Amino acid sequence: MIRIVTLDPFDDKPLAKLKSTLYTAFGVGSEHSGSAEIPPGLGEPLDAEKLLDQVKGIRAYQDDKVLLLTSRKLKERELPSGVAPTPGFARQGKDRAVITLQPHKDLETSFKPVARHALHQLGHLWELHHCLDPRCSMYPPWTPSFNSGEPIFCTFCREKSEQKIRLAKS
Amino acid sequence: MPEGSASLNQLAVGDRVVYPNQGVCRVTAIDTKVVAGQSLVFVTMRREEDGAVVMVPEAKVVAIGVRKVANAEDVKSVFAFLRSDGDKADLDWKQRARTNLERMTQGGILGLAEVVKDLQILSELRPLPTKERELYDNARHLLVSEVAAALGTAEVNAEDAIDIVLFPPGRERPKRTAAEFARGEEDDLGLDGDLIGLDGDLDLPSDEEPPAEPAEEENSEEGSEDESEEKSSDEDAPKKRGRPPKAKPAEAEGAEPAAPKKRGRPPKPKPEAPPAGAEPAAPKKRGRPPKAKPPEAEGAEPAAPKKRGRPPKAKPAEGGED
Repeated sequence: MIRIVTLDPFDDKPLAKLKSTLYTAFGVGSEHSGSAEIPPGLGEPLDAEKLLDQVKGIRAYQDDKVLLLTSRKLKERELPSGVAPTPGFARQGKDRAVITLQPHKDLETSFKPVARHALHQLGHLWELHHCLDPRCSMYPPWTPSFNSGEPIFCTFCREKSEQKIRLAKS
Repeated sequence: MPEGSASLNQLAVGDRVVYPNQGVCRVTAIDTKVVAGQSLVFVTMRREEDGAVVMVPEAKVVAIGVRKVANAEDVKSVFAFLRSDGDKADLDWKQRARTNLERMTQGGILGLAEVVKDLQILSELRPLPTKERELYDNARHLLVSEVAAALGTAEVNAEDAIDIVLFPPGRERPKRTAAEFARGEEDDLGLDGDLIGLDGDLDLPSDEEPPAEPAEEENSEEGSEDESEEKSSDEDAPKKRGRPPKAKPAEAEGAEPAAPKKRGRPPKPKPEAPPAGAEPAAPKKRGRPPKAKPPEAEGAEPAAPKKRGRPPKAKPAEGGED
């Protein structure tokens, strides 16, 4: 089950559409599981790693994947090879991911890129790596063409995610 | 000896090592076991990713390619390699598969980076086939986990650090052409030489004319002396196997260039020319020759056309039975 948890207020209609898109992409149930508060002390831009560690009040089962949705900006990460733009963050094989609406204004008008980021981060939760296909949602998210694509996976990534989900169920 | 295995003289419990094609493992035990009457020292390793356990005889640890986890300096050199505009992937898939297999098992962390970069560059020319896409994913997974182990960071950060170099932010990947992958004088597929062994091994008939044909026939067929001279000179030389050399330019100045050599079965010899004044023979018809007609008497009516089907029954003679 994919649980969407909002950290800021969002309209119901685009959230329902996002749920439907996630269900189509992964083939597992998806629902809006309420909202949570940003931990005190985390200023904007938010540190994604700390946010995932510190956010509380989320109820989920062991195999569930939680997607946090915020409209605030996430802090770019300093890595050994440079600075990584961070429209979202997820640790490989874990159960929580976060995405931001930034730089877009709202979920309804910028549904496709946000849904694509959601698929990307949830794919990392199911241990998918970055993909070579620019049409796939697992393509590196900082590339210029990423936001113009559809929220879908390539054949390889889809099969791999299905395999991981099957293994998790069994 | 595999890269990085030289420092594996002494393994201790708790060391982090990389098992080729498996990933980062931790040594959990080094103990002696009796197997088939032999006493062997086994190194037990547990894969960090999923906890799978593997036991390797100590004598085979180096031969298998087990090595210590790379350090921060190695990772820097990996980033430098990924940034550089290195060699292009081999377009010959067999050669590429062989090279990549060797890199995966013996190449160390740099070998993994080479596989990832080569296949990524190749994917800019054309989509990767399934097997290579899987190989790319495996190599990327092993590289990411080793870089994460070397830098002590999360895998997602290690992967992003690698991909910032491979896919620089704000830039699209270039489209490659096959010409960029061409290496020196070799052609793309490398099929010009004796690669598939057809030229040397099979005793295929060459395109040359059979040497035992009489000279008259050659003259009547081709009608050029130059060619017969060439043939005789070819016959003297030792016969070469394989594809014959391309047509040479005319040797003698002023001589007419030889007619282009025809392939396939040589034409049949023409019959000798008929004497002057004789009528030309009618063209020979194919098929069964017509039946000889029976001699007919002059003035006789032509026979009725033969009816097909069963002949009519003979009428019985009237009152003949009683």
